[in-house]
Order: sequence, then structure tokens, then C-alpha cells
Amino acid sequence: MKRMRFVCWVAATLVIAACGSSGNTGGGNSANAYAGKTIKFGAILSITGAGGVYGPQSRDGAMLAVKQINASGGINGAMIDLEVQDDASLAATSAQKAQTLIQSSLDLALLGPTLSNSAVAVHPLAESLKTPILAVSTTGIHIVPDCNWTAANPTTTPCKYVFRDSLGEQTAIPDNIKSYAADAHPSTGVLLVAQDDKFSSDGGKIVQDTVGQYNIQLLKTIPFSKAAADLTPYVTEAVQLHPDVIFITSLGGIPAKIMTGARNLGFQGQFLGGNGFNTATVSKQAGAAGKGARSASAWYIGNTFASNQDFVTAYKSEYSKDPDQFAAQGYAGIKILADAAKRANLTFTDLAGDRDKLRAAMETVNIQTPLGPFQFTSTHDVKQTVWIIEMDGAGGFKLDHQIQPS
Amino acid sequence: MDQQIVNAIFIGSIYALFAVGYTLVFGILDILNLAHSAVFMLGAALTYSLVVNHGQPFAVACILGIAASAFMGLVIEYVCLRPLRRRQAPPIAALISTIGLALVIVAAIEQGTSSSIFSWLWVDGANSVAFPAGTVPNPIWHIGDLTLEASKVAIIPITIALMLVLGYVMRYTQVGRGLRAVAENPRAARLMGLDVDRMISLTLVISSALGGLAGIMFGVALGDISPYIGRDNVEVRGLAVIVLGGMGSIPGAVIGGYLLGVVEVLTLVTLGSGASGGVAFAALFLMLVLRPQGLFGTRLRERI
Amino acid sequence: MDFFFNLFSDPVGFWNSHTLLISQIGINGIIATSMFLVLYSGQLSLAAPGFMAVGAYTSVLMELYWHTPFAVNIAAGTLLAALGGLLVGLPVLRLRGVFLAIATIGFIEALRLGVILNVPITGEGLGLKHAADPLGGVPIILVSLVVTVFLVWRLTKGRLGSAWSAIRQDEIAALSQGINVAQYKMIAFVFSALLAGYGGALEAHLTFIVAPGDEQYGVTRAVQILTFAVLGGSGFVLGPLAGALIVTLLPYIFLQAGPYINVFSGIFLIAVIVFRPQGIVGRGGLAIVRPAWWPRARARAPSPG
Repeated sequence: MKRMRFVCWVAATLVIAACGSSGNTGGGNSANAYAGKTIKFGAILSITGAGGVYGPQSRDGAMLAVKQINASGGINGAMIDLEVQDDASLAATSAQKAQTLIQSSLDLALLGPTLSNSAVAVHPLAESLKTPILAVSTTGIHIVPDCNWTAANPTTTPCKYVFRDSLGEQTAIPDNIKSYAADAHPSTGVLLVAQDDKFSSDGGKIVQDTVGQYNIQLLKTIPFSKAAADLTPYVTEAVQLHPDVIFITSLGGIPAKIMTGARNLGFQGQFLGGNGFNTATVSKQAGAAGKGARSASAWYIGNTFASNQDFVTAYKSEYSKDPDQFAAQGYAGIKILADAAKRANLTFTDLAGDRDKLRAAMETVNIQTPLGPFQFTSTHDVKQTVWIIEMDGAGGFKLDHQIQPS
Repeated sequence: MDQQIVNAIFIGSIYALFAVGYTLVFGILDILNLAHSAVFMLGAALTYSLVVNHGQPFAVACILGIAASAFMGLVIEYVCLRPLRRRQAPPIAALISTIGLALVIVAAIEQGTSSSIFSWLWVDGANSVAFPAGTVPNPIWHIGDLTLEASKVAIIPITIALMLVLGYVMRYTQVGRGLRAVAENPRAARLMGLDVDRMISLTLVISSALGGLAGIMFGVALGDISPYIGRDNVEVRGLAVIVLGGMGSIPGAVIGGYLLGVVEVLTLVTLGSGASGGVAFAALFLMLVLRPQGLFGTRLRERI
Repeated sequence: MDFFFNLFSDPVGFWNSHTLLISQIGINGIIATSMFLVLYSGQLSLAAPGFMAVGAYTSVLMELYWHTPFAVNIAAGTLLAALGGLLVGLPVLRLRGVFLAIATIGFIEALRLGVILNVPITGEGLGLKHAADPLGGVPIILVSLVVTVFLVWRLTKGRLGSAWSAIRQDEIAALSQGINVAQYKMIAFVFSALLAGYGGALEAHLTFIVAPGDEQYGVTRAVQILTFAVLGGSGFVLGPLAGALIVTLLPYIFLQAGPYINVFSGIFLIAVIVFRPQGIVGRGGLAIVRPAWWPRARARAPSPG
């Protein structure tokens, strides 16, 4: 009797879980036309966990692009099928899901992952499995082209299959500091850096390496763990040094927490941050405390690039909210893959060959995206306009400067 | 430095408020309720949702948030604990069933987006949010070099008042005597005609209401509400606090909370911020090795 | 249910395209066996992630800076973890039940937040990037798992095993029978640290980066490992192994639940533990941390003596 009840319980949960369907229609088998075929792309994004602040927008942007392309006849008649997997912001999960997408779902190419932490586990894997992977939000060091970089062996051969359409912190943070230094000539700064993830640590290192060039004296670097219940003691340390600038390199809800704490303690100076600032969620959480906080972004909602207005309008009508940088990068990611797939003369029979063709075609992408006219550099990185934006205190951003690519 | 003392007292109060509920269940049931941190988070998340998405005044939202947390106490008892007691399962099993419930609660919130079945509960997914300015009054006073925020200052009298009330109830009332009898020996308590199951339900309701209240105060004072505030920010430190104070001791949990706050901030000021993350745990380790009954524990309970 | 469909329709293809998942199950199995050893000897220790970190960082640092061969790195990591087990065990093993659990949590978090994040050679928050072989580890891991489980099973059947069993069921009675309780507990603890170190060192070579995340070497991992053992049943060596298999596969079992995977996983955990409190495998077990007044499990093997 008891055993029966147990079995029923388990069976019931299984049945409920199995409700829901997964219908993929495979392509036919004719040789050279795209018409009627399906082109499978995969995406590994952080929908939950620390990266859950950014991943959902990347997903929404990518899904929107897929929908638009399929609605307008697909890629030479082939429909895109995008499978999005949540890696829960864990590197090991990210790698497992990537392997499954590459070897079991047999996707042509991947987008992602969201966090630099996961990227260092996933990108070398994709490289070794010869599958193109396009990072849409990772900004850390050693992402492209040196995905196989290690401290012991710093000069590895460039990774052939790894690309990114996101602006590296190595460009963004120095641009941001440079532009603020030119505007306000700050002389002192304090750095608050989350020490337990790669993205934040990378950003902290870049700040430390950059400030000297602009005659900003870094009074102190204050590392903290994101597990600390209350960051106020760390913020107090920073505020009591009366710096002109507080640099914040961290993820998720932490930047807003620091800004609120510092303003409450009477801090009057400037906040400068990294890519962690560039989403509406952070601006909204910080509210009035965040007003004026500056970061360098890869995208600005009011930019006048040809395809940006279409993107913003379509995104708003699809999701009834404003897109952010991550949405724009996800959207551009699919557009880039689609353009490459269109020109790659895919066979639909030889997956390895198709992946190679796609990779080669990606290197010559030249399209209009919401990020601007898009081409990869020879190191598979972006070369694009950088937008210095500041939080407007009401959940949005406004533009300070526009820096053209050199 | 002075400001840091204020910081230490504030964070100590949060630890204490969280740990009182934790230690109450341990003291009476000898069970570590690992769903407590999820209830802490749920209290904060639901209150936020009621204010921002359902347009309720903060006071109403608070009361509903605490009530919902108290109700979660009943869920913990009826779903995770009572069936195991009926089956005479070892208490370590309760550890796993409460972990399971915590997983469900956190997953429901982190998947709560406007298109999800949990949208009535939460719509911000894995995001971190803060109460919009003006929804919660939070005046800030500057006294000399010190900065005092009303939302943080308020936590201290609330914590101390609750501890006193709880202490009084446990010591001098019929209910309190019943609870202590259950803690001492449930079988004897049952023979004496006490409704042990009801006492245990009551314990979980009180503990969870306190947990929810702690979550709300945390969310208001720190401007940070996300599905992960319980798990990432207070759960393990809560354990440290109840051990420092002596497992099951309510005044111990309060003093342990303040002690941990002070130790963490002192390390930050003297040894630098890198060290302060680990110091709570090093202190925990040393405390257990040197004085396992905690600062205020009277006897060593070899239980879970 | 594509996942299970593929498993049965195309086992070879499934195997080749899920090597990382299979390796992870193997590693978790080794760690679960390490957890089994301490539970079997009546110790609720959650120290495994700490020893895994010792094994992982040691082997990767040796690889990076000394360029020693793989086997040497793994062996060194394993042995250093065992030494760590001895050093941690000396002060903490007189603690029992939940006190031991919390002291070991103190150890792993102090190691992670206090040491790893603050000693530059560990790469701090950046972690250590190294040249791994994520897809080639399966044979080594599975052979290791089988050998580990067999060895531990032999141990539990021998003199050590009966001493551990006696200690688990009643420490005072064991003491009065002349069993050197402290010594036998220490043996189990050090063995367990050794296995955890070995699993950690192997795991580090499955991915290109070793980083000090909570889900890797912190409390989250410790709780997950405890779940393996308790869910699977800790009275018999195959129990924790079954637990590791099921818990690692949960996201795939509930794949169709889409965003609600964890809701279902949590309900599943509760259901299993409520209906089978002694774990999926075995009858007795779990008797180690029972408060005096808590009624004894009905289905329980009679104590020896």
C-alpha cells in the first residue's frame, strides 16, 4: 500500500513533467537548396543564477531575430530553429549543455554563454569540437582570440571557432575612464571589486592598470565576496577615503547596492563601472542613487544606426518593454549567424563541413545591426562605436559621449 | 571607524533576527530547517511584489508578507516534517526534505516572470530589485560623522523587543512551558496530555514569521531583493550565529548575531576586506573546537 | 523525453555526446562514496568540498608550474587532501552530529573565502585556467569509480567495517567493547578526505578552469553531496552512488518541465525522502544522528552485540 502510494507520487510528478511537447521537424534530404530545411542554432545563456540579470534579455533579443527572419522567408528559405538552454550561471553545467547541443542536438553553431566564467569552460570545448560559437555578452579577458590561454602557456594559437559581438572590458573600461577624466579631471579613486567571479576580477584588474594613465590615484582596492550579507562596511571604507570616483566592478544586484549605500553615507562623487551596469534592471534597482553613474556600453537605445530603430520598435511591441544592450547583442548575434549561413552554401548533409563553411563565412560578415555596421576584426572581436552612458535615476540611461572606433 | 560600529550593530541585528527563528526550531525539534532561508527570501519578495505589482500600501504588504511566511511554516511542518515523524524517520531526512522545499520556493521565485505561472508572486525573475523611492519612508539622519538610516535603526529595537517577548513567552506562559516540555522530552509531553503536533506547528509558524520579517527588513534596509538573498547572503552565516550563541538558545542567537557582525567588521577594518569573508567561518571552526556548546549553550546536544 | 529516448534508441551516440555528463556522474559517485565512508562510521562531516579543492588546486598548480605528468599531479593532490584530512580531523573529530557538520562547514568556507580568494597563486577570483581534456576523462573516471566502490565495499565487510558500524550504532557501547573509537573514526575521515581529493583532482581536469565558486567548493556543493548520500541511502555503499546518479540526472529527468525544472526536482526530493526516509537503497542506515527521543526507524537491522 505504502509502496503503491510512493510509486503513484513519483509517477505523477513524472507525468506532469512530461506534459509539454518538443516538436522539431528535421529537414528533408535534397542536396543543394535551402528551401524547406531547418538550420539549428543553440544558445547557452544564464537565465537563472548570478547571470540571470543579463541572460533573459539576450534570449529575448535572439528569439526576436529568429522570429523576424523566419517570418520573412527564413535563410534562403530555410527556417531557423533556436534551442535555448539555461546554464544556471554554472560553468560545469554550461559545458555539459554545450556538449549536448553540439553532439546530440547537432546544432550548426552556438550563441553564448552569458558569463565569462562559463565562457572559459565552454569556448575551448567548442573549439576542440570545431563548432562556431559566438559570445553575445562575455566581456572578460582571454575570450577571443586566445580562448586556450593559460598562465603557463600564454601564446597559444588563436581559436578559430570562437567569435564575439560583445564589447570587451579591455576596451570599454579604459574608454569610460578616459572620457570621464577628460570631462571632470578626477584625481583620486577607490575600487570596489567582487573577488569571486572572473568577470568582476577581470574588470578590477583593468581599472587598476588604467587609472594611472589619466592621473587618477587609486587610494585603495577593496575586494569583497558577493556572499557578504551587507556591503555597507566595505562601502564605508571607500567613502571614508573621500575619493572623487568609486569604481565598481561587479555583477547582478551588487552595483546598485553599493551605489545606494554610498549615497546614503553622503558620498557626492562619481560612480564608474563596467558592463555590469549596462542593463535597465541595475539602473532601476539603484534608482536615484544611481543617477549619473557612468559606464561604456556597446549599444545605446537612441542610436541612429539604420536597423536600430526597427529593432527597438519590434522589441517593444513583442515584449512591451525597452530593450537593453544584452538584447541588442543577442539580436545582432542571430543576425550575424543568419547572414553567415546565408552565404555559406550549406550542404545540410555534412555537418562538420557546414560548420567549417559557416565559420569561414562569419569572418566576412558585413551587415547592419543595432550595434552599428558589423564586421569582425581579424581576432574575431568587435570593432564598434562605444557609447558612454549614464544612469538617469529612473531606470533608464542617457548618452554622454559617442566614441568612434579607431 | 564610528560609522563601522553602526554598520556592525546593524548587520548583527539582521543576523540575530534571522537566527532567532532558525535556533527556535532547532531548540525544540533538534532539526536544522534549511528552508528557513527560503522563507526569509519569500517574505521579502512577496512584500515587494504586493507593493510594486499589486499596489498595496507598505504596511499592508508587510503584514501579508509575514502572514504568508507564517503559513510557509505550516507547509514546512505538514509537507516536510510531519510525514517523516509519522514514519519515524531519522532527523537527517528532515534536512533533505527542507532542502527540497527551499529548492521549490527559490525556483518558483526565480522563474517568476510576467509570462510564468508564478507571475502573481514575482515578475522579476533572477533580477535583484529595490523598493522604489517613496514607497517605504526611510529618512536619513547625520549626527556628527555618523549616518543613521531609519530603516536600519528600526531593526535594532524590533530585534530586541521580539527577543524579550519571545523570552517572556517561553518562560512564563502556558504555551512556552508546553514548548519547553516538547523540547525536553516529546514523549513525556505527550503523556502529560500536550498536543505535541500542535506545539511543533506553532514553533514553525513563529519561526517562519520571524524569518519573513527578517527578510523584509533586509530587503528594505539594503535595497536588495532577489531569489538568492536567503541562500547566498544569510543561510550559512545564520548557522555560524546559532553555533556561536549555543544551539537552541534564543538570547544566544541574538548575542551571537551581534558578535558575528562585530567580528566581521573589525576584521575588515584591521586586516583588510579580503580576510573578512573567511573570518566568520574561521571563528565558527575555532568556536566549535574550543567550546562546542557555544557561548551560552548550557549542555552539548549531540543531535541534528 | 528526447534524453531518455536517445539513451535507449542510440546508446553509442548517446554515450559519445554526453561524455561530460557521464564524467560528472562518475565524479559525483566518487565524492558520494567519500561521503558514505564518514556517514558509515557515524560522522556527519561536510568537509568533502574542502578536500576536493585541495586536490583540484594542487594538481592544477603542479600541472601549470612544474609541468609534471598527469598521474603525478593527481596522486599529489589526493595525498595532500588526505594529509589535510588528518590535520582537520585531529581537532574536529571529537565533535558529533550537527556540530561536526557545522565545524566542517566552517573549514570549507574558511578555506574558500579566506585562503583561496586571498592567495595570489590560486588565481583568486579569476581561478586557474589550464589545458584540460574534458571529453577524454570518461574511462579513467569510470574505472576509478568502480575500483573506489569495490574497495570501500571490501572495507565495510572487514574488521574496519564492523568497527565503524558499531561506532555508528552506539559510540559508547563500542567504546566499552574496547574499540578504539577515535582511531577508527580518524581512519574513516582520512580515507574519505583522500577519496574527495581524488575526485576533486579528476574533476579539475574535466574543465578548463578551476574557480572557487560556492557551487564548486562551498556549502552548496556540500549540501548536494549530503543529498546524494541521504537520498540514496547511507547504509550500503551503492546507496550514495544511486543518489549521485539520480540527483545529477534530475535536470534531465524533468527536462520537459522547462523553466520549472527545479520546482519539480524539489518536489521529487521531498516525495522520495518522505516515502523512503532511509534512502532509496538499503534498509537501515541514517541512524547516526538521531536525537535520544526520536523514535527508532521501524525497518532497521538489529544492532550487533
